[in-house]
Amino acid sequence: MQDQLTLYGQSFTSRLLLGTARYDSPSLLSDAICAANPAMLTVSLRRQLSGSKDSGQSFWNLLRQTQRTILPNTAGCLSAGEAIKTACMARELFQTNFIKLEVIGDEVNLQPDPFGLVEAANKLVKLGFQVLPYCTEDWVLCSRLMDAGCEVLMPWAAPIGTGQGPRNPRGLRDLRERAPKIPLIVDAGIGLPSQACQVMEWGFDGVLLNTAVSRALDPVRMAGAFAQAVKGGRSAFLAGPMIVQETAVPSTPEIGRPFASGSSRLEGLAPGLMRG
Amino acid sequence: MSVLVNGRIHDLPEPPTLAALLVALTPQLPFAVACNGEFVQRGTYEDCRIDRGDRIDIVHPTAGG
Repeated sequence: MQDQLTLYGQSFTSRLLLGTARYDSPSLLSDAICAANPAMLTVSLRRQLSGSKDSGQSFWNLLRQTQRTILPNTAGCLSAGEAIKTACMARELFQTNFIKLEVIGDEVNLQPDPFGLVEAANKLVKLGFQVLPYCTEDWVLCSRLMDAGCEVLMPWAAPIGTGQGPRNPRGLRDLRERAPKIPLIVDAGIGLPSQACQVMEWGFDGVLLNTAVSRALDPVRMAGAFAQAVKGGRSAFLAGPMIVQETAVPSTPEIGRPFASGSSRLEGLAPGLMRG
Repeated sequence: MSVLVNGRIHDLPEPPTLAALLVALTPQLPFAVACNGEFVQRGTYEDCRIDRGDRIDIVHPTAGG
């Protein structure tokens, strides 16, 4: 059976979600999407500029051509009220109930506002939205979001756009352990494919990234690298990593080793303890 | 008599409804609208009366992360 990511009942073969911002050109974005093969594309909404020849139409056409599931965000919202209104506009504009809920509590590190986030999530779920909240790894916040009806959580690895990788690995892994059923997608702060691979090895269900691809020297190649990393990390998780040992364990059988003296401590090992 | 559309001053249309304003502005599709910070559903533009000093936001799809 194929391993799939399921979000609010919708299944995806890819576990990578890709942002569409900060590419040097639409064609570069289009090629990066092909290379990444993402489950979803994150998008946003902004005011139309008066007199502009192209008020989002070419971007809209590009999105439709990709035939990907669209995940609108509430980027830049500083209160629950703003986020709810933005989500309502996004639902009409993009014709989807999916919403990446962002309520920013600090404009320096773009950290989520936990209070506004829970308030907005509660209301949006009641309005029929399928909410994917951008949150931290804080357990109390995450449990409140689940109580609100969120069926997916998206904890950050590090502040948006930094590319620092997981700042709090222990906290992220604790969250995974305490919430083993709900899909967890690491969103924001991933800079390298190795970091994406690592969080997938920890058992996270997916990775959402933008800047790590769009600001790479070769975004298309980096998109492909992330796609492979996410797949590799997921396979490793499913394969079940070995248990880490405190001391060295020989991998080659010790029994029958030539030139061994009878006094070697390894000579006395039972055959069942041989390592292959 | 005027309204603010995306931060810029526009004449209030006749009749003073959101629908009439949008006919005058002809925003490119697709778009969504808010009046004084409140989302206005498509299909209700005729019923949405606007007054002098109202703030209208017209938004369109854009790239996002």
